[in-house]
Formats: sequence, C-alpha cells, structure tokens
Amino acid sequence: MASESPQQGGIRLKVRVNGEHHESVVDPRMNLADYLREELRLTATHVGCEHGVCGICNVLVDGQAVRSCLMLAVQVDGKEVRTVEGLAEGGKLHPIQEAFIEEHGLQCGFCTGGFMMALCELFDRNPSPSEAEIKEVVGGQICRCTGYNAILRSAQNAAAKMSASRS
Amino acid sequence: MKPAPFEYVAPSTISGVLEILGQNDPDEVKLMAGGQSLMPLLNMRLSRPALVIDLGKVADLDFIRETDEGVVIGAMTSKRAVEDSELILREHPLLWESTVAIGHPPIRNRGTVGGSMAQADPASEYPAVALVLGAELVAVSARGERTIPADDFFVTFLTTCLEPDEVLTEIRIPRLAPRSGWAFQEVARRHGDFAIVGATATLRLEAGVVVDPRIAVFGVADRALRFSAAESLLTGQAASDEMIDEVASQAAAAVEDPLEDAHASADYRRHLAGVLVGRVLREAAVRAAEASTGA
Amino acid sequence: MAIEIPKSLDQLPTTRPRYVGRGIRRVEDVGLLTGRVEFVDDVVLPRMLHCAILRSPLPHARITGVDTQAAEALEGVTAVVTGEDARRWSLPAQSSPEGWGTHCIAGDKVHYVGEPVAAVAASSRRVAEDALELIEVDYEPFEAVADPFEAMKPESPRVLDAQETNVMLDRVFTWGDVDGAFADAAHVFQEKFRWNRLGANPTETFGCISEWDPMSLDLTIHGSIQSPGMFGLGRAATFGLPSNKVNIISHPHGGSFGGKGGTRGCDISCLLSRKVGGRPVKWIEDRGEYLLSGGGQAWDRHYEVALALDAQGIVTGLKVGLVDDLGATGEAYGAISAAKPLAAFTGPYTIPVAQYDLKLVATNKLPCGPYRGMGPPPHFFVLEQMMDIAARSLGEDPAEFRRKNFIPADQFPYTIPSGNEYDSGNYGEVLDQVLALSDYSAMRAAQAEARAEGRLVGVGVASAIEPGVFDWNAYAIVGMPGTGVPEGATVNIDILGNATVRVGFSLEGQGQYTLITQLVADYFGYEPEDVRVVQLDTQSAPPSFGPGGSRLGVAITGAVLGACERIREKMARVVAVLMQSEAENIEFMDGKFMLKGAPGAEMTVAEVAGTMLARSDLLPPDIDPRPEATHVWTAAGRTPADEQGRAKSYLTAAHAVHIVQVEIDAETGMVEIQRYCLADDCGTRLNPDTVEGQTEGSVVQGIGAALLEEYVYDEGAQPLTTSFMDYLMPTVFDAPKIEMVAVVTPSPFTPLGAKGCGEGAIHTTPAAVMCAINDALAPLGTSAREVPASPMRLWKLISEARNRASDESNDD
Ligand SMILES: Cc1cc2nc3c(=O)[nH]c(=O)nc-3n(C[C@H](O)[C@H](O)[C@H](O)COP(=O)(O)OP(=O)(O)OC[C@H]3O[C@@H](n4cnc5c(N)ncnc54)[C@H](O)[C@@H]3O)c2cc1C
Repeated sequence: MASESPQQGGIRLKVRVNGEHHESVVDPRMNLADYLREELRLTATHVGCEHGVCGICNVLVDGQAVRSCLMLAVQVDGKEVRTVEGLAEGGKLHPIQEAFIEEHGLQCGFCTGGFMMALCELFDRNPSPSEAEIKEVVGGQICRCTGYNAILRSAQNAAAKMSASRS
Repeated sequence: MKPAPFEYVAPSTISGVLEILGQNDPDEVKLMAGGQSLMPLLNMRLSRPALVIDLGKVADLDFIRETDEGVVIGAMTSKRAVEDSELILREHPLLWESTVAIGHPPIRNRGTVGGSMAQADPASEYPAVALVLGAELVAVSARGERTIPADDFFVTFLTTCLEPDEVLTEIRIPRLAPRSGWAFQEVARRHGDFAIVGATATLRLEAGVVVDPRIAVFGVADRALRFSAAESLLTGQAASDEMIDEVASQAAAAVEDPLEDAHASADYRRHLAGVLVGRVLREAAVRAAEASTGA
Repeated sequence: MAIEIPKSLDQLPTTRPRYVGRGIRRVEDVGLLTGRVEFVDDVVLPRMLHCAILRSPLPHARITGVDTQAAEALEGVTAVVTGEDARRWSLPAQSSPEGWGTHCIAGDKVHYVGEPVAAVAASSRRVAEDALELIEVDYEPFEAVADPFEAMKPESPRVLDAQETNVMLDRVFTWGDVDGAFADAAHVFQEKFRWNRLGANPTETFGCISEWDPMSLDLTIHGSIQSPGMFGLGRAATFGLPSNKVNIISHPHGGSFGGKGGTRGCDISCLLSRKVGGRPVKWIEDRGEYLLSGGGQAWDRHYEVALALDAQGIVTGLKVGLVDDLGATGEAYGAISAAKPLAAFTGPYTIPVAQYDLKLVATNKLPCGPYRGMGPPPHFFVLEQMMDIAARSLGEDPAEFRRKNFIPADQFPYTIPSGNEYDSGNYGEVLDQVLALSDYSAMRAAQAEARAEGRLVGVGVASAIEPGVFDWNAYAIVGMPGTGVPEGATVNIDILGNATVRVGFSLEGQGQYTLITQLVADYFGYEPEDVRVVQLDTQSAPPSFGPGGSRLGVAITGAVLGACERIREKMARVVAVLMQSEAENIEFMDGKFMLKGAPGAEMTVAEVAGTMLARSDLLPPDIDPRPEATHVWTAAGRTPADEQGRAKSYLTAAHAVHIVQVEIDAETGMVEIQRYCLADDCGTRLNPDTVEGQTEGSVVQGIGAALLEEYVYDEGAQPLTTSFMDYLMPTVFDAPKIEMVAVVTPSPFTPLGAKGCGEGAIHTTPAAVMCAINDALAPLGTSAREVPASPMRLWKLISEARNRASDESNDD
C-alpha cells in the first residue's frame, strides 16, 4: 500500500490483473509496463516508445485505456488491470481479436495489443461507435505496417460482432 | 529510458501533501497529477526529483461543479471527465472543444486539468482557453489559499507563478456572457499533436458591433498570449472581414520573439498566429450573430 | 536431378488451387494477437544482465579520458566496457565502401552524436542507466560538418582519421551516348531536388541477448534480426571468429523495414558478455536510442537532374547527379541505397541512355542504413517530378505523357540502359485501370472548378518500378562482391502425414508462414491445419537470407515448391516399387499418387510417408527413407556487373501507377489527401490479402515520407528529432482510404509467376503525392522541390509566389 509518508526502497502493491490477484513489492520508479512484463511476466504488453506517443503499451486500468509506460506500477495499487492476456477467455478469442484476423488488421502484430485495448474501452463506452469515433481512438497510436485502413476495418467488424452478440 | 530513483508518497489529503512539501526541499520534490507530462520527463531523466508526491489519492480534487458564477473544476479532474461532462458541453463548449484537441483518449484518461495548467507548456490548449474564459486558479500552501487570475498565472516556458510549495486545487471558470460567440482552432502536424499554433476567441455582438472580445493564441511564444491591443481595436467595431484582418495582423505583429523549432520557423509561427486569429474571430462572430438572432 | 518448379498456378499438382491465390486466415495471427509470440524482449535467460549504452553528446570530438570507476562501484553493476575493450576483442565494422567502418565503441574520437563511448551490464536496465550517469568522459570538441557540400571541400574537418577525405565515392556512370542525346534534344529540362533524411522506425526497436563464452568463444545471439544468416557472418567478421562459432536465434519481430540495424549495440552486448564470463547480456534499444542512433536512417540526398526530349515529347536521355550524405561511416550499408537505383534507373520508360554522377559523402551524422525500397523511392521522386515538369511545359496531360514514354507490353523482357532486365509488364493497362478507378477526367473537372474558386487542388499521376528479388550484383558499384542470395526450406512429412516446414527466418509481418502453408496445402492436397512452419537458428537452418529486397515471397515459394517437388519425386519412386511399376508411371494430383491406367491403384501422401517411415525394409536400398527434402532457391541467370555497374540484378520488375488528389490550405500550408487510387502489377498474387496489406502499409509510409518524416540536424550536426513528438510518423488521420485495383502480368522467370512486392508502394507514393502538390501549386507558378513537403515549406513557397505576383502587378 502506498503510504502517507515517503518510502525508501520497495513499496507494497496489491492489484488484480486479468482477474488474478497479485501482491508485489516494487521500486517506485518502475512503470506499469515494466511491472507487467518483468514482475508478472505478462509480456503481451509491448513497449514502443516509453514516452506516451506510440500507444503500443496501452492497457486498461479500471476500464480506462492508459499508456502503461506513463503510469507507475505503484499507482495501480487497489485497481483492476486488464491486458491483452485477458482478452481471450475460455479458450476463445475475443471478438476484437477475431475481427483483426478476419480483416488482416495486423502484420507484425507488435502494436496490435495497444489498438485492441484502446478499442476495448471504446466499445465498453459506446457499443456502436461512428467511424469518426473509431478514428479518434485508433488515431492515438502508431502502426508502421498496415497503413491503418485494415485496422479501421477490423474495428468496425469488431463493433458489429460485439453488438450482434449483445442483441 | 528509465527514471532515476525516487521516493514516492501518495497522501490522501491536501494537508498531508502540504505537510510533506513542508518537510522537504521543494526543489527536490515533484507533484504528480496524471503524469502525462511528468512521466515522459522522468523516463528520459530530464526531471529527477528525489521525491514524487502523487496527488492521485487526494480526496476532493476530482470534480466538476456548477456554481452561481460558472463552473469549478478540481485540479485532479481528468480531461476525459471534462470531455464526458454534459455540464461542460452545455456551459463551456469552447472548453469542451479544446479538450478533445488535447492528445488522444488514453492521454486524456490520465492527464488532468490542473496538470496542464501547472505544466504551462507554451503549445498547450488549456492555458489559452483559461485566458479567454477569464479563469481563476486556486492554489493552497501551508501559508494559506490564494486565487490567481489566468492572466497572471502563466509566466514563461513550463513556468507558472506557483511557488514550489503551492498546490493547485481548482480552476474557476466564469459563465460566458449570454449570446457570446466563441471559437477554437489549431494547426498541428498531426491530429492530437501539440499545436504548432492555435488560437481561441470569444466575443459578443451588440447593435452590430463587437463587445468584449477576448483573443488568445498558443504555441507562438513562451506562453499563451492574450492580445489586449487587438482586443481594444476590435471593440466597438463591426466584425467585418477588413476589420478582422486588421485585428489579426495586429495580433500577429504583437508577438515578440516567436518560437522556432524543427517544425516551424518564427516567421511561420507569426504568420499562423495571424491566420488563426482571423479564423477564430470570424467563426466566433458567426456564432455570436446566430446567438443574437436566436435570442 | 534438375527440379522443375511450377511457373504458374496451373502447374501445381492440383485440379484447382484452393489456397494459393487467395487470402486465408493467417497462421501467424493467433499467437500475435494473444501475446504468446515471443519477441526478444520477452525472453529472460538464467543469470541474464541488462546493458545500457553511454552515447556521445557531441558530433565530433577527441576523447581524452573515460573514467568508469564510480560506475563499476555501483551496486548491481557487473561490468563496464569502453573503446579499449572494443579494440581488444573486435575489429572495425565491415563497411560499404570498404574502409569506412569503425569500432562499435568509440576509441580516440567520436564521429556523430549518439556514438557509443561506454556501456554497462547490470542487474536491471534501470541500474544500468544509473551507472551511465556515473561514467565521466572528457571530450575535446572539434568542428563538425553536417553539410555534404562543405564536407567535400578540402578544408573541411575530416570525419574519419583513417581516411584522407570525406568523399567515399565519386564516379560518373554513363550508359550510352548521353552527351549526344542532350545535344540533339528538342527540349532539355533541369532541376535540383532535396530529399531529407528519414527512416524505418519499426514499432519494435532492435533488441538482443548475447552470450559469448570467453573460453570456447562460442557466440549465441538471440535477437530481432531481419537477416539472421548475414547478421551471423557479420558478427563472425567483427569478432574474428570462424563463422561456425556464431549461432543466431532470431525472434519474431515488430517490423523492420530495413531498420532493425542494431549491430553496434549487439556487438557491445557481446563484449559485455565476454567480459562477464559469458553470462547472457540483454540490450533492448529504447526509442530514444533508436531515434538518435538506431538503424534505418536513410536517404539524405541532394539531386540535380536533367531530362532530354525529342520534338515528339519522347524522353531521350536522363542525367541524375546525386550527392548522398551517408553520415559518419559506411558501416550500415547506406551506400547500397545509392546503387540500387541502377536496377530501375529509367523507371517504366523507354529512355535509351542515362548517366549517374554519384558522390557518397561522409558527415558527422549517424551513418545511413537501409530503409524500405533501399534508394529508388527518392530516385523516382525526382524522375517523376521531371516527367511532370516536361509534360507541363509541353502542355501535355501527365498521364498521357507517361503512357507515350512507357515501355510497350510487347518488348519484354526489356533491358534498361543501366543494365538490368525487366521481366514482364503491361504498363498501359495498369494506367488504364487506375484512370478508370479514379475517374480521372471527373477528377480533373472537379479540380478545374476548385481552381476557379481559387483553391489549391492538385492531381498527381506517378508511375514507378519496384525491383524485386534482389541480388548482390546490383550493388557492385559500391563494392559489394558476388552474386547469389540463397533461400532454403526443408519440408518434412511425419508418420501421420502432417507436414512441417523448417526455415531460417522469423516472423516480421509479411505473412510468409501463411504463404508457405498455402503452398504446401495446395501442393499435397492438404488443409492449412496439416501444415506447420517452424524456424531454426542459423546453425541448423537451411541457407537463408530472410526478408529484404522484395525477395522473400518469391524466393520462399521457390524453396518450398522445390522441396515439395523433391519429396514428390522420392515418393513416386517409393510408390512405383510398392505398385511394382516404374516412377514414370506414377502420377501425382490432389494429394494422391496414382498408377497410370490402373484406376483405384492410388496412395495418399500420408500413406506413402507412413510406409517410408515404418517400413524401410520395403524401400529400394538406395532411397533415403525420410519423407523430407530441402531445396535452396536462388535466382537464375544473374550476371556479374561490368565496369559501369551494369548487371542482370533484380529478377522481377513490378509496376504501379498512383493517382492522388490533394488540397493545400494556402494560408497554413497544410496538405489534405482527398483521394488515393492505385493500380499495380506484381505478377501472380500468391495471397492478395497480403499484397494489399503490404501496399496499404507502404502507401502510408510513402505519405509519411512525402509530408511528415524527417530527421532534422542543426548546422552543427546536432540531431533535433529525438522523440516521437518530433519524428512524425503517420497516424490514421494521415492515412487516406486507399482504392486499388490489380493487373496481373505473371513473371516468366519466377516460381508461379509472382514478383517481389514487399517494399511496394513506397516506390511510387512519395512521387505521386509530390506530383499532386506541384499540380496544386502550378497556377501560382511555383513548385516544391524538397521532401517532406511540410506545411512550413509549402507556406513559404506559396507566400513567396504570391509576393512575386503582387510585386509584378505593382510593377505593371
Ligand atoms: C502523446 C501525448 C500527447 C499530448 N498532447 C497534448 C496536447 O496536444 N496538448 C496538451 O496540452 N497536452 C498534451 N499532452 C500533455 C498532457 O495533456 C498532460 O496530461 C498535461 O500536460 C499534464 O497533465 P498531467 O495531469 O498529466 O500532469 P503531470 O504530468 O502529472 O504534471 C505536469 C506538471 O504539473 C505539475 N502539477 C500537476 N498537478 C499540479 C497541481 N495540482 N499543483 C501544482 N503542480 C502540479 C507537476 O508537478 C508537473 O510538473 C500530451 C501528452 C502526451 C503523452
């Protein structure tokens, strides 16, 4: 627990990640991306720039997409984190993952997790987003392979899949 | 790209924050709000505090409230909360519009209103908006609370008038006068980037002439600038194309030492300031005219 | 026994290909989307240390002292290396041209900002970076040179002490009677252009884990490595090791585009590993390091170009003068990018004679490396601007002007003046298709209306060649020796009939494992699930170059089909024995071996494989009982370069025409791409989804090149674009909707008739966007000659043109 007075060395942290409870002692300067990757060995969160521009390291914290390179691990104390590892459930791909396969929405796949997590938040807030709303979310990130056309198609396909499964 | 070591604390009250500030050399301490400016600086070791005080757990800094005078926004309110606020959309569409021009959704999820004010990036949207809306910023320290008009708050590059032991707690934004027109525009290399130059304005039209125009630009100089001379020039005049052009070129000429970087020369910035001031004045005048006929 | 590799889809042993020629679910995707694919930074090895590198803040300075004591004393630090260690255990990097390499850590002198001066191995990257701050380096600064024209002057500071000059190469290549063509020309046009340095910037930077045992000297490197085989040979040369001592394990990686580079950092991690007794040392280049000093900064070019035309408007000669600023050394093979244009020097046109006045110059900037396209994209940018300048001056429509200069469809194979042979093409058809797709005349009509309103709307038409399937001979002029780039595959059928294909390259994004799956599935009558592709390290893999030079799709198709053919042959012999016949009587179709004229006498591939593996006693004694074969494919008919650099080099020539509509905001200089249409012909499309994906991605990289991307250095050679806030890559808001149509003219020379298409649209896009911008600017009497066309540059051109116009009208 982050305390009321400054702490030397490690800080104790309790967090749920993809539904699993974790307790760790971390160096305050360790960012969330490094915590997930190094401490929890959840390496699906990739790191692209470490200064917040590329969006590849997006994860959900309490349902909101954030850059995990711009958050300290200690700041997720008491929170719920979701990463790419938490997308597929029960041996089944998430509809967003299915959509990216169907629309050829990835090539090297390094950045894709960041897009999927940001889209996850979007679809939670807004099950049937317009193209402009999708663009606003996709536009926060860099993909060097696809030229984005296929990512937009994937996002639209995913939205359609998710609203079909809701109704 | 990893931060230098620091100690960390996340107090749950403002008094806790002030107490820790009092116990430490303020130059060695950094307050962290959303971290969307501070974390990159820490990662690049351009900022290397011995102690980070996280404001994230401080109670009562995250709110948007309507008051008799307008709205009050807690310093730790995220940009996303501003964007999602019906109240802001209705009362301060200008603030809303400038909010969605800041970065990208995940940045706005974390980045706070107070953080942007305190960061005082010359290319940032909020300081200019605070200037035209006549906002006041409230800061507390062990010495008490003070209220600072936006006009006095932003000093120069990444520098405000806050003392090292002061914490920004809220931003008060007076209600726009009825039938005001407003506009906000920016030129950025890419959508969501910090602007090369941006401009914003509010004004009213009464009996065919401009009343109480407020014009500000950002990205042009070491801080957001308000153009009082240009505002006076426009006051009491018809919002004609010629008049607006004259005001815009006056405003552009009034910029001392425009910024220069890899993307834009000083000349280009000055030129854009003129173009955008012209554009926001036209747009604001149209809105004001609509508001007057609508009323 | 010579192996016949099918030259077209109908030569595959299947009634109808079910997978090749169409898009299928990529076999790569599930692992990538769930995060189970292991990128190199995901790897943790026992006792692993982490490396961080201290880099020079100065572009040119003498190092007078390096004090590492405090760093060594920091808790968690295991070792520090400096230039001394580099000189003890390694050689200067190989380079092109030769003799322009330096050690991986600077010795006496630093040559560019970002050059390594020391490095640390520590318990974590955080601690390693803490230690860097404790290393003290004393510098005696020298004057730096950032401008190649300054660098060429005799009085300029010299970049490398070991060289007498900063000019790495200065030669004029002449192909045909160029002087005659210009003397006889009815029209000559001449212009200067500037292409600013840009770069690959894959989303994953370079990374590696090196283990160099100081006793056995065995060196193992895990890394995100584009060409593991070449990379291993390079390390062997740098460390003076026998090549069989080096094993490279390449991991799937987050793109490369030529920009993985990373050799210096990798070599440094090797030195650290040796110093710490062979423990694994991980170095993950961070984005700051990448932008400052990573791989794939490319094409820092100054052009002067001339075009000769006859009275009919046919281009009769081309002269290209290029001053190519390669940065401080030749270690990253940036010079290859200056040589590659020889493979398509005159583009899609019949230009009969040409000249290349080439100067490669060293400056105190980061050494240039490869980037997608490897040099032709700027070349086609200048060529296509010249074509427009000529068309505009002659009052001709740019599309029709190009058409009349196109190589006619009946003239293939066609040898261009710079020596390469184009395999096939139908350029007029490609143009027709994109004209129809874009509704070109309607676009022009809309443009005329917009112009009448005073808006700056422009339409660009550009055409270019994508040389595919590279060979080293293309780069002979910058000192690359030899020909032949092998790609191998081993296909194995197991006892239940399932196929495993082993290759030597890792996933990079282009979907080659899917392509392999499609090929094997169609060849053996299998489903994709029956095929698995695995990657081997360099000590076990068949010979492999991997992706690069728009080559792998074609090459791996040759390798896989070759291996399949070999298995078929072997199996046919087995079946013949089992059916008591001769191999000639055994036919193979849709996954079944059949005895001719004996209906019902047939065996499936699985049955044959099962028999081979379980019952070797039934097989002829001279047959290898494994249902496995390896085939190594290389392009046939490549010729050594002559003294003017002429060679049959790149095997295929894909072609495209792009039509783009832009509007420029005259007040701000901002460009909006309003339509993007293209037609391209890359021969048989083995997987159209993949081709389209490569094309879309490449268009957007091309837009980045035309409008956004630039590594800026100041006059003192300090880099100014060292974060993603400053190096601007396109986002979705910069990516137009891309409309495309395909023309298919199979290559007569390649497996299944496919052409290289991986580098793709970047050959054409920057040219097309710039043509559109210049079309928009034409009414103002100005034009953009510098890439990227940033809003500031365009605003300057526009306002200067307007000022000139108002001065003139004032004069009247
Ligand atoms: C990719 C990207 C794009 C961006 N684009 C834009 C953009 O277009 N426009 C724009 O304006 N911004 C942009 N930003 C910056 C972003 O808006 C930041 O969130 C904002 O500048 C700072 O807010 P923060 O809450 O994150 O503050 P922090 O980063 O936590 O703090 C910033 C500074 O303010 C101080 N501070 C914070 N809160 C207080 C307080 N209550 N009292 C006293 N001092 C305080 C801190 O000590 C620190 O020095 C971008 C950021 C990124 C990463």
